Amino acid sequence: MQITEFQEELLSKAIDAGFQEAEVYYERSESFQCMIFEGEIDSYETSEEGGLGLRGLYNGKMGYAYTEKIDEDSIPFLIKSAKANADVLDEDDGSDIFGGSKDYPNHTFFSEELANIQITEKIELIKSIEKKVLAYDPRIVSLNYCVLQDFSGDRILANSKGLSLKEKKNGIVIFISAVVKDGEEMKTGSFIKLTRDFGSLEADKIAKEAAEEALSYLGEQSIPTRRYPIIMRHDAAASLLATFTPIFSAENTQKDQSLLKGKVGKKVASDIFTLLDDPFHPDAVAGSNFDGEGVATKTRSIVSNGTLETLLHNRKTAKIDGVETTGHAHKTSYKSTLTIAPLNMFIAPGEKSQDDLIASLDNGVLITNLAGLHSGTNTISGDFSVAATGFHIKDGKISSPVKQMTIAGNFFDLINDIEEIGSDLHFRPGGYGSPSLRVKELSVTVD
Amino acid sequence: MIKQSIIENVLEAALSNGGDFSEVFIEDKYVNRLELQSGKIEKSISGRDFGIGIRIFSGLQSIYTYTTDFSEEGLLRAAKRAAHAIKNGTNGTIHPLRKEMVLPIHQIGQMPKNVEHARKVAVMRKANEIARNYDERIRQVGLRYIDEEQHVLIANSEGKFVEDTRVHSRLSIQATASDGLEMQTGFYGPGAHAGFEFIENLNLEHYAGEAARIAITMLGADECPSGKFPVIIDNEFGGVIFHEACGHGLEATSVAKNNSVFANRIGEKVAPDIVTYIDDGTLPNEWGSLNIDDEGEKTRKNVLIENGILKGYLIDKFNARRMNAEATGSSRRESYRFNPTSRMTNTYIAPGTSTPEEIIASTENGLYAKYMGGGSVNPATGDYNFAVSEAYLVKNGKIDRPVRGATLIGNGAKTLQLVDKVGNNLAHGAGMCGSISGSLPVNVGQPMIRISEITVGGTKGE
Repeated sequence: MQITEFQEELLSKAIDAGFQEAEVYYERSESFQCMIFEGEIDSYETSEEGGLGLRGLYNGKMGYAYTEKIDEDSIPFLIKSAKANADVLDEDDGSDIFGGSKDYPNHTFFSEELANIQITEKIELIKSIEKKVLAYDPRIVSLNYCVLQDFSGDRILANSKGLSLKEKKNGIVIFISAVVKDGEEMKTGSFIKLTRDFGSLEADKIAKEAAEEALSYLGEQSIPTRRYPIIMRHDAAASLLATFTPIFSAENTQKDQSLLKGKVGKKVASDIFTLLDDPFHPDAVAGSNFDGEGVATKTRSIVSNGTLETLLHNRKTAKIDGVETTGHAHKTSYKSTLTIAPLNMFIAPGEKSQDDLIASLDNGVLITNLAGLHSGTNTISGDFSVAATGFHIKDGKISSPVKQMTIAGNFFDLINDIEEIGSDLHFRPGGYGSPSLRVKELSVTVD
Repeated sequence: MIKQSIIENVLEAALSNGGDFSEVFIEDKYVNRLELQSGKIEKSISGRDFGIGIRIFSGLQSIYTYTTDFSEEGLLRAAKRAAHAIKNGTNGTIHPLRKEMVLPIHQIGQMPKNVEHARKVAVMRKANEIARNYDERIRQVGLRYIDEEQHVLIANSEGKFVEDTRVHSRLSIQATASDGLEMQTGFYGPGAHAGFEFIENLNLEHYAGEAARIAITMLGADECPSGKFPVIIDNEFGGVIFHEACGHGLEATSVAKNNSVFANRIGEKVAPDIVTYIDDGTLPNEWGSLNIDDEGEKTRKNVLIENGILKGYLIDKFNARRMNAEATGSSRRESYRFNPTSRMTNTYIAPGTSTPEEIIASTENGLYAKYMGGGSVNPATGDYNFAVSEAYLVKNGKIDRPVRGATLIGNGAKTLQLVDKVGNNLAHGAGMCGSISGSLPVNVGQPMIRISEITVGGTKGE
């Protein structure tokens, strides 16, 4: 069955069945992934998938259902389930189906050039990366991950109010993790890049970066447990930002789950801290022209020089707060209900290089990687206590890698304690970015 | 779900360019998810996941493809696309399919599909009430209910043809306490490989009460000091520490390529005599249990470490080839979207002889982790980290006062050597485990144990 036909039939049958308004959200994607181990293809995966979600207003309440089996029989299943799900909700929460924005941006998230790269060329690239990493230094014993993945997909959002939006995207990811050994000491170092520009993936450069990252952790030393001034490298800073993103959601402030409640227009961070959401940033691969409800997206400043300018809203939370939606309704997939999330949020870069930041500390710690963020962080209180990897900085220079550490602090304090922001803005796959940050101090415990 | 003759054609098409094994995994899964927040049912979604995974082995190469296109042409196209990865082979052999019956170990009382939303909601409302009534400082209660009914059909070129139904039910409770200045949370999430009878029979007073009690306790807690201490980890979900610290390192995923500190060490002493570590997918109706794994093999009780000696690993069909070993009924995947690999089911430390009272009384100065949060591990190095959701200082053999913000870090293989007490109160707790074949329901379990020294990271400093 053709998807447009199916969509039309589902929408009209939903209206016939008593839904006042309805929306169909469809996604389809294809992917290729291969993993190399010791020069051979260890695993080779391809996929072709699709699924669709129905969202509809029934007796004033929003019912949801989805299916991955797109056939005639699914229509009654979707309608019956969405009705039952609307019925069980406690009250009309003010959501409805959106008729559409006046204008939509017209950015493209799809590269024809990438789509035309042959599988053999991709396999050659990832094989040559593995070879180059292994040849880089005798202390590199293996690669526990050496993976290339690409994907392409499209999505359609159509509703009974006549809105019909479409978007195509693709991208390619390289993920490498090298295992290094020196005597009894064993470490890993990883490299990840998501791009739409296949030409930017240079095997020599990637191999060198991954190898040096892993090797840099050999020769670890212990340092005293205490509070240290911190340089949070761009990638560690971006992952911490991603973890604490829920604090910026209006859904959370409205439910007393975020301490930013009532803080719009107020100072919440250091003067030099500016937080932007740019769905079209050229260095990021994430992004979109419309949000999960079909609202046109645009670049926004969330925090400007330390002042909270806006929370992230969808149409429902905006109505409650008496503001306009910021276009942050988020649908993880056709399987999910609407939530709120940024499209591509990042901390605006400053002037100084990472080396300049390091040079500014006499006795500090450079944090390069955080682990356990899903468990060691409390987005409600802002407290975090997580495992960290990094280096001791002495007299303005990196002196040695540090044994396993934990760093502890509070995110709300941390954004107030940012003293310097680097120029090295990097995006991680998934759409969060940060430059390296110098933070006044954090509590560091060393194994 | 799909005609046997079509499955046979797909298995054959998958081997049309060579390869020595092909497999089809068909999944049809119904899901219901409900959320209660601020006393109201705010979210409710139902859905049907449906797709087919096709796998081919050619020596030490594994090829996987999946599709949601269930037409015969769609399936054959997917099989050929996968077969394309193999070159210069001759046709593989297909054995006639023999239907195997699954002996259901996990009886399902009430299929969730036949239970009205209203009954599910009634349980959620009751849990909400219990948590809210626990203390006036409980400001928010969030409840998540989920049920899944997964039908699978697994067939392979060796003639296997088996179907099974798995039913999972879980209720997660999160309580948030606030005194106006700060907010703390408490969590409990019981789950089972069972139907709605599990949800309806839950002791809500206990689970919702505990979630609220943890939040309130942590509200008044001091910041945790940092340093190296003996750490007592309580039973049930406390077992998550060994799940991360050694369970992942015993999966063939890491062992087969020598990326684990436990690789090539069968028969060696890796832990003190008091440690026996088991993975058992047959425990009736437990959250991590299965009748058959995702390759169609019967699950079993796998002793991994016995009295401190490394006895075995968790092995799937593919890694079994590289390791020259037998598969252990441990191959799992989140859905048809994932190439299956060796994973844990219900993993636990077998009970010892110490009573919890003895263990605490014999600890002069340390940390008592009553409830653990989650954690993660780097399987290559064994370095792990954990959050403790409810912790206390222990002084002179007595529980002193609660502390918050404790994180445990260390190295799995080393920590395992430092277990010096194993209690007699084994219990299991439900969790979700994320790894390369997706996010899976697993149980972690243990009696109360003590580790003579762990690095504790706290917010207070030394």
